Amino acid sequence: MITSIDLKEVLARSVGSPHSDLVTRSTGAKVRDSIEASLSAQSTDSAVVLDFSSVRVLDCSCADEVVAKLLLRRPSGPAGPAWWFVIRGLTESHAEEIDHVLRHHRLALVAEELDGRPRLLGEVDPSAAAAWNVVRDRGSSAAEEIADALPLAIEETRRALEALVDAGVVRRADGRYLPLTTAA
Amino acid sequence: MTYVIDVPQILDERSFDQFAAGFAGSEGAARVLVDAHASEWASPAGLIGLLCAGQALLARSGAKPLLTVPTEREVAHYWARAGFFVHAADLFEIHGTVPRVKPNPERNVLLEVTPVTVADDVHAVVGRIQERSAAILTSELGLEPKATMGFGMALSEACQNIVEHAGTGGWVAVQAYSWRTLGRRVVTIAVADAGVGFRHTLEATQARRFGDRWGDATALEAALIQGVSRFRDPGRGQGLAGIRRYLDRWHGKISIRSGTARIAIVPAWDRDEPLRDGLPPFPGAQVQLVVPEVEREAR
Repeated sequence: MITSIDLKEVLARSVGSPHSDLVTRSTGAKVRDSIEASLSAQSTDSAVVLDFSSVRVLDCSCADEVVAKLLLRRPSGPAGPAWWFVIRGLTESHAEEIDHVLRHHRLALVAEELDGRPRLLGEVDPSAAAAWNVVRDRGSSAAEEIADALPLAIEETRRALEALVDAGVVRRADGRYLPLTTAA
Repeated sequence: MTYVIDVPQILDERSFDQFAAGFAGSEGAARVLVDAHASEWASPAGLIGLLCAGQALLARSGAKPLLTVPTEREVAHYWARAGFFVHAADLFEIHGTVPRVKPNPERNVLLEVTPVTVADDVHAVVGRIQERSAAILTSELGLEPKATMGFGMALSEACQNIVEHAGTGGWVAVQAYSWRTLGRRVVTIAVADAGVGFRHTLEATQARRFGDRWGDATALEAALIQGVSRFRDPGRGQGLAGIRRYLDRWHGKISIRSGTARIAIVPAWDRDEPLRDGLPPFPGAQVQLVVPEVEREAR
């Protein structure tokens, strides 16, 4: 199941702002609280799309409160994080701010480009980044298939893939690794 | 007896210390006159610096200091169109004729002098500036359209410095004008308050780390260069870093004056000093962001 959350709508609901600018740390905290409240009624192991298409300005403080803290506070179990976030509708400026706050916390997130192609924002180690690219390009794959496509040993590939699952940017199901998209 | 603080004829970042020295000398004076009668021009940072002085003098003595209006008609009108006198009237006993200006905004004034105290003020400021700045940044300064979004981000982060740290209200102003030493137009964001300043804000968490070196200059270095914050939250301290990234991309400049020190990230087109200490003390923090016009041949 995929839940889509329109950030401008949440902004209007949380702070009553007529603007479409996600700015200030206090606003970010209110928006995040509102998102977390709606997610608490949501079943776990589902995908959540954060839709920024109607957001005009996003500042670093708000990006930190909304995006980074949403990931940091997300519950996690043996199968990975409770919810799988994909971010959509980013301008280049939004993507830059979110990428920086994610790197600051050593977090990562999948963003969907305008053409629907997923892109990784934030920080993962180089082996994990290479493995993520293979999963994105090939779709559902076993660890051995991904290792074959990389100049990595199978054990290192597995470690990289599990790090991606823990980070919430790849899903694991029936021993295979799946890319995270809004079509998932 | 009335102590007179002379406002320099050109009040900008280069002459601000002269004004601050006058302000520092007013300590203990029963009555203070801020004399701007001979003023020929004031940058947005200069204008809100005057308001900070007024706020601090009023808080110090409980009585409004005096302020003389520039005698040059054009100067007084420009200050009025920039929204200066509206707020000055709350802080100063104004002497001289304050021009009545039409609501029609000055083209070069992207944001009139605007008070900032709470987060809602930052929302309002960012909301008002976006459309006006887009036209100036792209058509007049030759920046790419994406520079507009980052401009709103930088403005928001600079204003939040007041909301989060000043302990008092402050002001923001945004104007476009020709930068004297550059020979090109710039857009300047000036944000200032007469609050506690960077050293006091960071003292509890940073002073021990710096030991004997701790002071206004090291506090500014810690905030702007190292990105430290008084909060334990590891996500804090990213605002100034975000501003630096934006300015670096568009060859802009940031300077922050607080207490007796001033720090600047100086682009190739400017000859400012990166760090100055031992300046005349001035309350709060004064932040200036400058985004220059793209060189014609680079467009």
